[in-house]
Parts: sequence; C-alpha cells; structure tokens
Amino acid sequence: MGLAIAFIFCLIFARLIYVQLVWGSELKLRAADQWNREIPVIASRGLITDTNGEVLAGNKTTYSIFLRPNAVKDSRYTATVLSELFSLDYNSVIEKIEGGKVSEITVARQVDRESVEKLVGYDLPGVYYARDNTRQYTYNDVLCQVLGFTANDGSGLSGVEKYYDNILSGTDGEISYTTDIVGIETENSVVVYHEAQAGNEIRLTIDIDIQLAAEEAMRSVYASSNAKSVSCLVLNPQNFDILAMVNYPSYDLNNVPRDDKDTLNTQSRNSVVCDIYEPGSTFKIMTAAANIEEYLKGNKSAFSPTYKFNGSRTRSVDGTKIKCWSDHSNGKHSNQTLADALNNSCNPCFTDIALSLGKDTFYNYLGSFGFGNVTGVDFNGEALGMLVPQSLVRDCDLARIGFGQTVAVTGLQLACATAAAVNGGNYYTPHLLKSVVLPNGKTENFEPILKSKPISAQASSVLAEMLEGVVKEGSGKKAYIEGYKVGGKTGTAQKYEDGKIASGKYISSFIGFFPADKPQYLALIIVDEPQGTYYGSAVAAPVAKEIFEDIISIKNIRPYEQE
Amino acid sequence: MKRLKFSKKAGDIPLLICVFAMACFGCLMIYSASSYTAEVQYGDSLYFVKKQILGVVLGTAAMIGVSFLPYRKLIGFRFPAVIIAVILLVLVFVPGVGITNYGATRWIGFGGVTIQPSEIAKYAYALFTAAYFAKNYEKVKTVKGVLPVLGMGMVFCLLIIIEPNMSITMCVGMLMLGLIFLSGTNLKTFAVVLAPFIIAVPLLIILEPYRLQRLSAFIDPWASPKDEGYQLIQSLYALGNGGPFGTGLFNSTQKYRFLPFAESDFILSIMGEELGFVGLLIFFFFCGFIIYRGFKIAKNSKDKFGFLLASGFTLVYGIQVVVNALVVSGAIPPTGLPLPLISSGNTSLIITMASMGVLYNVSRGD
Repeated sequence: MGLAIAFIFCLIFARLIYVQLVWGSELKLRAADQWNREIPVIASRGLITDTNGEVLAGNKTTYSIFLRPNAVKDSRYTATVLSELFSLDYNSVIEKIEGGKVSEITVARQVDRESVEKLVGYDLPGVYYARDNTRQYTYNDVLCQVLGFTANDGSGLSGVEKYYDNILSGTDGEISYTTDIVGIETENSVVVYHEAQAGNEIRLTIDIDIQLAAEEAMRSVYASSNAKSVSCLVLNPQNFDILAMVNYPSYDLNNVPRDDKDTLNTQSRNSVVCDIYEPGSTFKIMTAAANIEEYLKGNKSAFSPTYKFNGSRTRSVDGTKIKCWSDHSNGKHSNQTLADALNNSCNPCFTDIALSLGKDTFYNYLGSFGFGNVTGVDFNGEALGMLVPQSLVRDCDLARIGFGQTVAVTGLQLACATAAAVNGGNYYTPHLLKSVVLPNGKTENFEPILKSKPISAQASSVLAEMLEGVVKEGSGKKAYIEGYKVGGKTGTAQKYEDGKIASGKYISSFIGFFPADKPQYLALIIVDEPQGTYYGSAVAAPVAKEIFEDIISIKNIRPYEQE
Repeated sequence: MKRLKFSKKAGDIPLLICVFAMACFGCLMIYSASSYTAEVQYGDSLYFVKKQILGVVLGTAAMIGVSFLPYRKLIGFRFPAVIIAVILLVLVFVPGVGITNYGATRWIGFGGVTIQPSEIAKYAYALFTAAYFAKNYEKVKTVKGVLPVLGMGMVFCLLIIIEPNMSITMCVGMLMLGLIFLSGTNLKTFAVVLAPFIIAVPLLIILEPYRLQRLSAFIDPWASPKDEGYQLIQSLYALGNGGPFGTGLFNSTQKYRFLPFAESDFILSIMGEELGFVGLLIFFFFCGFIIYRGFKIAKNSKDKFGFLLASGFTLVYGIQVVVNALVVSGAIPPTGLPLPLISSGNTSLIITMASMGVLYNVSRGD
C-alpha cells in the first residue's frame, strides 16, 4: 500500500515537473494574451515641409477613445455621455457596449483635447483614451494634389502622403495593462509603456512662396478665362527640382470631400503629372532642338539657321494636306528662318524639319527627350503619354508630330524636355523630394540623377536664344519682362472628343523660362478649355509673366545688365 | 503498565498540529485566491475567508471533541451513520431543500447553512465498512461475505452519481476497493469485486455525454478553449506561470477571475502559481506526512476495527489529495473535487478535521 501511494505521488510530481518546469514558459506566453490589454499610442507622423523647412503638413495632437464593454459599469450612462461628447448615435453606442462579442471597441478617433478632458471628468469605467494624430495642412487647398491626404487611421492615401508613407509614418507604440478577465485593470496592474517612434520629415523641392504666387496667378486666369481647369508647373531647369505644381480647381486638405467621390476623384488628380494632352506648338521646341543639334553635327538634311523655309501655307504629305493655323496672306509667314518660324509658330516649317530629319533621327530625339516614357518623378500614377510607335509611324503622322499634333504628353514630360533643351542639354529625373530629415535632425539629401543628354550645350544655347526671341518679338510677347531674358513658346491645341476635333474646345498653353542664357526658372501654364479668347499667346503667356515677376520679387533677382 | 498507558494516551499530537496548521494555511490561500473575485461578486474581499475561518473553528472543535470520544464506540454508530448519510443524500433531490449549482444538485440548505451530503457519506461508508469487517472478519475471504459492503457502496455510489458527482463517486469506489483489499480478503474475491468497476467506468461515461466532452477536452483542451477546455487551460496557465519558485504569495494573475473555482476545487493551481513547484513539493510533503501518520496509526492499532477505521479515513483523505492533484495538473479529466483541508467549503473541512480527531483517538488506543 505504501509503495502504491509513493508511486502515485511520483506520478503527480512528474506531471508537475512537466507542466511547471518544462511547459511553463510556453504556457506563460499563451496566457499573456489573456492577461494583457493594449491601447495603441499613435506615432507622430513626419512633417512635410517645403524647400526652406516651412511646414506644409503638420500634426495636431488628438485622441482616440476606446471602450471595453466588459469593464463598463453603467452602459446607459456611458452611452449617453459618449454619444453627447463625440456626437455619436446613442443607440449604436449602446449596441456596441451590450452587443457582447468584441472585447475592445474604438469609439472615436482624432477627437480634440477639450472633449477628452471632459470625458476624464466623467471617470467612466471601461473607457480609455490614447494619443492619436490628426494631420493639419497649413495652406488648406494649396498644393493639395501633390501633398495628398491620409486615411482615418493616419496612413497616406494619395500624393506625397502615400508615396512616402513608409518614411512619414513612424512606429506606433502601446500602453499595455494587466487586467482581469473582463478587462478591468487589476489593483497591482503592471503598466508597460512602449514609446511610439515618430516618423521622418519629408522636405520637398517645392518653394511655398513660388507655389503661392503660382496658385494666385492660376486662380485668376481660371476665373477670367472661365476655363474647365488650369495647371501650372514651375521647375528649376538646372536640377529638375519641382518648385511649384498647381492644379485648379482644388479641394481643402483639412476638409476632404470624402463623401463626394466624383468631386474628390477629379479635384485630387495631379493632372500635370497624371493626365495627358496634345501639346500643340510648344512641342515645336523639340523639333527645333533636333534640327539645331543635327545641323551642328553636320547632318545635311538639317536646316541651317539662315535657311529660308518655303512660304506656302500648306504641305501635302501622303495625300493629306497640312495647313498652317495662319492664312499666310499679305506676306505673313514669308521668308522665315528657323527663328522666324518659332516666332510665328508656323506649322509647315516644322513639318519640313520632321520629314527632312526622317523618322529614325527624329524619334531618337523624342526618345532622349523622354517622350513615350515616364519621367520617373516620385509620384504615383504618372502617365506615359502617347507616341505612335516608331515602327507604325507614317510620314503624315511624323509631319504633324513636328508641330505637336498626333502626340500626347503630360505637362511634366513637356516641361522636363524643354528644360533639358535650354539648360545646356541635360535631362535629369524630376523630383519632389529634396531631403529626408530624421527625428535626430540628421538630413539625407536627394541627389539629382542625370538621365540623358539629348542635345549639346551649344545647340541648347542657340535654341534658348531663339526662344528668347519668341518672347521678345514673337507670339510670346505677353510674357516679356523688361530687363530679364525670358524665353518661351506658346501653344494652342484643339481638343479631340471621340476621335474628332471638338469645335470650340482648346488647350492654351505657354512654356517659358528665364534667364535665357542660364535658365533658373521654367514655368508651364496649361489652361484647359478657356472661353472666348483661346490663343496660348493671349491666355497663357501673361500668366507666366505674372509668375516670373513674382519670382523676381520673391527672390530679389536683379535685372540683366546690358554689357 | 501505567507508564505505557500514559504514553499511549498522549497520542499522535504532531498529526493534529499538522492538520490544524494546514487548515489555517488553507484560509491564507483562500484569501489570496478569492479576495478579488469576492470583492467583485459580493463586495467583500473576505467573503470566502470568513466562512472558512468559521469552518476552521468548528472543525477544530469537532476534531478535539472527537479526540476524546473512544473510537470503539463508533462501532455502534455504524447503522445510524449510514442511515443519516443516505437520508441526507436523498434530501438533495427534495425540491426546496436541494441546491443546484453548475448543473449539478449536490448541496442541501437549511436556512443559511449549506452542506454537501456526499462529503459526509464518504466517512459514513468508511465507518460502516470498518465496523462490518471488524465484526465479520471470518467472512472477508468469500464474495458472499463482502456483499453487504459492496451493496452499501453501490447504494452510496448510485445516490451520488445521479446528483451527478462523478468524482466523489469515484472516491467512494476507490475507498471501497481499498478497504476490501486491506480487510485481508484473498485475491480471487478481490478480482471478482474489481471486475464490475472496470466495466462501470466506460458505462458511466456513455451515460452522461458531458463526461465524454470533458474527456476529449482533457486530451486537447485547446480544441475548445472557451468551453470544455477552458477550466483545464486556466489551471495549466496558473501552474505554468508559477514555474519553479512561483510568483510569490498574493501575486497570482490567474485569480483575476481567469480561473474558475480558484478558491475551491482548483486552489492547488493558485498554490502552484504563487508558490511554484517547490512550494507544491513542500505542501505534498505535509500531505504525505498526514497519510503516513494515518497508516502508521492504523498499523499500530490493537484491533481490526481500529486498523480499518484509521485506514479508511486516511484513504478518504489521500484519495482526494491525489485525485485533486491529478485533475489540477491535467493528468486526468477534470472533475469537481475539493483539496481536503485547503479548499473553501465547510462540510468537507469540518468532517475531514473530525476524521483526523478519530485518527488521533485511534492513536491513543482508547
């Protein structure tokens, strides 16, 4: 009998050794799940600042309210207080409390300090709060399509907020309490606080002063021209820093129209990057650049700067007739050199160049100027543009591409190509990110990447001078600023709807830069469907002038001094 | 002769001290295990402890009182004991008197007092069996001779199993086997007696489907962590959290209402959590001490009745300790059985202490 009892006790000990000593740590780990309740501490999201550190997107400290139904003592009272404080529906709150299955409910997010202080005053058991984050945009709707907005949980949904979400979003922390079975904190509760890790600051190439100037100019042309929409891009041609980007109409980032999906979809589109249009005459810059470079290289099929183009209004290609926009009457558009052709924006001259260079040479230039491909800007949803594949292109297509038809581009593509054409021939990857600033103040700078060199510095300088002429005495006159070497080119394109020319619908544009001998600022103005006057020279060029004048005063740029 | 008688009269004082100390230790553990739950449920963190202290007082009085009652007089009490036990067991099923808890009717209540008749029945049966074999020791070697013991055992088992209370039924069954074995029967008779038990176990499981569920929950408690497996998982969590040296007295986490019956049937889990494996080892050492002294008293007893009575009462205690430990550690399927002298519950405490008084009296040789 004694032996039997000793044996049974040994059995018990063996079992206890197994459970407590061998299995113990695993059991403990499993049990920790039921012992601890966590409340998230939302990490502070990284700031988005402009090139000078001006805050564009900051944070307001707000709070999240949580509820553990099991720990609630008086559910009716709790529901009354919560629904009043956070303007919630009483019935849905009480349903959540009494509903049963969920052990923790998020009652409200991003509530302000004031109402949390009131809540603390009520001292409701089972109701908890923790730090949350609410994005606050300094300039409301300015730069809204570029900055983008965040979801209710703080994650980036569009724009820079989305593209750099992993840099901006920090790591959430948590407060962990030991609680009893229903989530009531225990008397000797161990509170473990895991600090949240703040996100990094994104410093953009955007210059908010230039952005605001551009916004103002674009809004006024939007109003005066009754346009459908307007866009603007300001670029530093030396390194392709994007200094300003405007798409209007826009929406308020601090009051995103989340309920109106259609409006939000239209107004949150960064058109200048994501939408394509037929550029029209501004594209002649590319044709001219290709011709000048080929001429300097000694290509016999290129035209010399002194060559006088045929003054006829039409060209016949592949049996189709190509016309100039001007009627060429009374000696208009006669005896034109390349510079004259640019001044007058004479279509047949550029048809001559495109056909003379031939599709292989011409397409080489289009390729190295970045057409038919994305620029690689740090933004989601960039459009490719539309370029007839080289193998399929007919002479009648090539003839039109020469002056900017039968081709579709994004504003960004055109601005970058133009910048490369006038900056000495360097094509960089355009970018919005200037640097990442870590919480410890350390800065990681983004270095410009040289993508290609489409033309030589010499050709570039010849072209820039010709474009300066366009503003000085040609179709771009309305962008002329005394004492500053402004270059540029106008564009007026007819819009297509269902493959046919839509009557009365135009896109007026102007691309300009200054100073022409060493361009520092380049601006592209696009006015979509202006009512009344629709020529780019009349609608878009004055806007560029306005923006350039603002830049001159903001940057305190001294006028060019005559030697 | 006189000197010998004097030394005999001193009896096994260490046993009584150990039993009393254990009952007091029980109060401490009940306080630790139940204060939070009692505060939440009754608004009084001492709710269970107060009841238990009353039990310790009454139990100590009963233990001391019984110590002076010559045990041989209990032979004459054998029939009243079983009759009272059976009446109490039947009363459980009388509406208005019987109290149902957790789906089982195991208690009877008079005014504010509730008692668990099955706790009394175990001792009544041990007394009856010891008395029967002491009076009819020549019959123990035949099956016919042990029939009255078997018959009475069946009556008790039947009344307890329909409550239902599987664990105490098992205890009574094991007690019956133990006592028949100790009575000096031969192997053949013992084998004939044993056979029905081996058949009974699977039969009982099939009769009540909840037992099968419990059985499967015991094999893999995580298959039904919120239902059948819950109790065992929580008990294992407590033991695992205790590890080798425990979390320290009053530092249980599982007592925060995670572990049901923490102050009663599963108090050993809380002890394992707060005092660790080493603590349980020391505790079992004292349990072993009580069992050892119990059997030693039986062995030293001058007559057959004393031997069987002491063995029987020691077995009742030992069986409960062992079954409780095996349940709590998940070595056998969970059943509701208190840890004697420790678990909250006054019927068990008082009768166990009283039985220890009887052991003491046997040790004195009155």
